Amino acid sequence: MSSSQQPNLRLERFKAVAGNQNSILLSVLIALAIVFTLAEPKFFSVATAGNILTDWGSIVLLAAGQTLVIISGGIDLSVGGTLAISGVTSAWVMSTVLGFDITTSGSDAYPPLLVGGLVAIGTGLLVGLINAILITKLRIVPFVATLSTMGATLGFAIIISNGMPIGGPNDFSLISPINPTWMPLSWAVIGVIIVVTAVGLFLHKSRFGLHTYAIGSNSFAARAAGINVERHLTKVYALAGALAGLAGFYVYLRLGAGSPSSGVMRELDAIAAVVIGGASLMGGIGRMMGTIIGALILFTVQSGLIMAGVAPDWKKVVVAVLIAAAVAAQTLRPQNRAR
Amino acid sequence: MKKNYFKKAVALAGAAAFAIGLAGCAAEEEAVVAPTTGDTAVVAEDLTIAFVMGAESDPFFQAMKLGAEEEAAAQGVTLIWQGDPSNYSPETQIPIVDAVLAQQPDGLVLIPTDPTALQASVAKAVAAGIAVANVDTRVGDLSDVLTFITGDNEDGGAKAAEAIANAIGYTDGETYEVVIGLTSATATTNVARKEGFESTIAANYPGINIVDVAYSESNPEKAATNVNNWLTKYPDLDGIFAIDGTNASGAAAALESKGLVGQVALVGYDAYPDNVAKIEAGIFTALIAQDPAAEARLAIQTLVDYLRNGTAPANAEVVIPNVTLDANTSAADLVKYTYVAN
Repeated sequence: MSSSQQPNLRLERFKAVAGNQNSILLSVLIALAIVFTLAEPKFFSVATAGNILTDWGSIVLLAAGQTLVIISGGIDLSVGGTLAISGVTSAWVMSTVLGFDITTSGSDAYPPLLVGGLVAIGTGLLVGLINAILITKLRIVPFVATLSTMGATLGFAIIISNGMPIGGPNDFSLISPINPTWMPLSWAVIGVIIVVTAVGLFLHKSRFGLHTYAIGSNSFAARAAGINVERHLTKVYALAGALAGLAGFYVYLRLGAGSPSSGVMRELDAIAAVVIGGASLMGGIGRMMGTIIGALILFTVQSGLIMAGVAPDWKKVVVAVLIAAAVAAQTLRPQNRAR
Repeated sequence: MKKNYFKKAVALAGAAAFAIGLAGCAAEEEAVVAPTTGDTAVVAEDLTIAFVMGAESDPFFQAMKLGAEEEAAAQGVTLIWQGDPSNYSPETQIPIVDAVLAQQPDGLVLIPTDPTALQASVAKAVAAGIAVANVDTRVGDLSDVLTFITGDNEDGGAKAAEAIANAIGYTDGETYEVVIGLTSATATTNVARKEGFESTIAANYPGINIVDVAYSESNPEKAATNVNNWLTKYPDLDGIFAIDGTNASGAAAALESKGLVGQVALVGYDAYPDNVAKIEAGIFTALIAQDPAAEARLAIQTLVDYLRNGTAPANAEVVIPNVTLDANTSAADLVKYTYVAN
């Protein structure tokens, strides 16, 4: 029985730690905002907030799914490729199959966009299910399984699109801040916030979440406690895939086109957000709020460096330092030292 | 048994397709070549041309592929099209060249991803009796290379500068703010276009200040991010030079979402169908286009001419100029220069 107790105990402990982690992350975010504002006063503006949130929208969707996967003790390298193939497939359906081109705009674009959104989520779900089959049925380790779907999805995205963006119907007002003087959120970002909040509640308030932590902490113990590990992991990867598909649709809305190169390296941004947010790649540890703020930090750095006129190459260095610091902070914490 | 049937069916279908393909080639060869050379021995010889490009994912090479396939079919030669799916790098390209050379083609069109690293591959091919052409980029020492065909990227950059100056109504004595969206600091095409752009600005339009540059790493979403932040930082921005197709897509989307179409001049590069459509919509002030298909056609033509008739090209280096596409470009030219998607 102790095996089924263990995850619960750990969960309580990590809840306490995560609270702490969030306050550290928020302090980092505020400190960054102050530094960048000193470097470029225009940084402190509604417009900049809008820019950061627009960037945040696509990665936080990838990162939300990645949080589930990482907490379950796995990794999903295919989310960037899934984003690309979902966006491209969705654009292809809207433009080639349904026959809407870039001249369809405003509210006229809503019906095809609705179809496109469903196609994107469906495509992502399909990739997620393929990942799940590779991992749970063929027993391929997640790193390798999702590495291969990453290659396949990026490749298919190029094949479907001939390597070129596919333009289609769009309403750019969905992705623009609702009011440029006082409201940096766009309708698309509000949609993302709702989805990510729902996934967060699902992770932290449901039995599904509890089982995810249990599997990530100790999958043998979880199995002994009666959890169907294979079925649960199938759900986790399917959900991560569907979220990546939705991210693909978000990027479509942003570009007005499905672009095959829009997913390249995005999985690393997502993993960076999760790790900065305090999740452990060993599994069993992580909070959705950490991931959300982690992704915000990533794009605050990106916008800040552009605004401050710092050479773009420095962004990678700054992000690398943040990741190293986040992981170091995690391992140096007394509770984790005992492991 | 079932499996065997299936295999047989596949094999038969494959063989049939191959035979039809061969027949097609043979017919074309006779039609095109026999009357001009009158040499049946040459006609019977089935030439194979290998084409090793940079990265399959790049639309530029997709357009090039169509040109290569078209010309190979017209000349009745077999085309081996190879290259890494997405990595533009010598590390991935050299083994691909080795594998292709092992197939003993008669000619090799190579787009070297590095001028120095691929020099040995060219020497290896020539030592094996394979004629080599370079397209788009070149190896450092061209003495082993039959012909080098390229688009003029520096000239393209200069044309972009002219287009921006036109669009913002440049007047001497006034100052203007312009930014450049790049893909990376080192991509040779980016560097050449930027140089052409900067030198034309410096020479003819001293009032235009290039206030910033940023990199998109081949990701249009990052290109949009760069432009979003610039529009916040430089509220009076006059123009954007988006140096390639990726940056063009991202910059166009950023202007649309900020409602600044027509207020900020946008000159892009690469005639993706989606970008060309945005000329008509007024989102692009102008689009500079290359003609990758023409480069590929000319390379194959030159190699085949040399292999069949021994005629070396008149010029060892051929530069195919870039063109400016804008609202005044005829519909026929827009179609001609659009990177075709098949």
